[in-house]
Amino acid sequence: MDYKYIEQLLDRYFEADTTLKEEQILKAFFEQSDEELPESLRPYREIFAAMEPEATLGDDFDERILQMTEGTPQVKARTISLGERLRPLFRAAAVVAILLTLSTALNQSFKDDTTWADQSDYALKFEATGDEPAMAVYDIPEDSLMKDSLFMPTGYLE
Amino acid sequence: MKKISFRTDVLPLKNELFRLALRITLNKADAEDVVQETMIKVWNRREQWEQIESIEAFCLTICKNLALDRQKRMESQNSSLEEVGHDAPDNSYSANPEEQAVQRDKVERVRKLMNQLPEKQRICIQLRDVEGKSYKEIAAVMDITEQQVKVNIFRARQSVKQAFLKEEQYGL
Repeated sequence: MDYKYIEQLLDRYFEADTTLKEEQILKAFFEQSDEELPESLRPYREIFAAMEPEATLGDDFDERILQMTEGTPQVKARTISLGERLRPLFRAAAVVAILLTLSTALNQSFKDDTTWADQSDYALKFEATGDEPAMAVYDIPEDSLMKDSLFMPTGYLE
Repeated sequence: MKKISFRTDVLPLKNELFRLALRITLNKADAEDVVQETMIKVWNRREQWEQIESIEAFCLTICKNLALDRQKRMESQNSSLEEVGHDAPDNSYSANPEEQAVQRDKVERVRKLMNQLPEKQRICIQLRDVEGKSYKEIAAVMDITEQQVKVNIFRARQSVKQAFLKEEQYGL
């Protein structure tokens, strides 16, 4: 393998003439193990390994800082519009509206049920006579009709 | 300009700030204190965030200044520099444990050489070679010209290289 490009980059690196991208190439190249590197390049491996960012701070640091700055570590303040603020109220109103509509609809259907029941009752009577109810009235014999219609005892008239 | 949030834009810089403070103070506890001070200082100046060009450079600058102040205070108190404890580097690519130990040792020596550099060179090489910052960004944090940044990086890399290769050649 030809290492001319790497050697050239390395020279420019020590002259502070490399770009950030070229420095990344060098770092990546020197991540190889010693066996894969030619003898002449081996000593540089540790130099690049020492540049790795390692030391870090734990999560407890974040919590401490947030307590000292934003105050509460968990609750995040956010701005909400009037619409958003009133949303629970709208929801409650919607629920009430739905309940009202439902109960009215139920009441209505109960009423309808009773009328239907009455109507079917009439229908039954209608079938039993075989005639229209209005006509049945006229079928009553005339003498009995006369007596009944006067609402008087028959003996009283004679 | 983008709205800056402390939680998402400032707090995640903690590790970068910590490493910079560590490179200056060479002590983990001091470095952590410096980062904490930096965070609070940045928070207290939140009215100015909107006018800042780069919140990262702003934080790095405050951190650098606080670390240097602390460093000077420590020096005046004549306290000796503590050895910096580093986490073990990842040597999983090396099969032989003995070889691994040797490599770890070498990496540690390079780190020590870096920490022995003059202050400005140390900060420049930290921001460039560890954090991957541009000359322009480093110049803004250090309040020096880009040319001066380049000179500092050049000297730092040369010193580390020569000292390390010399040790390698002649042994310790």
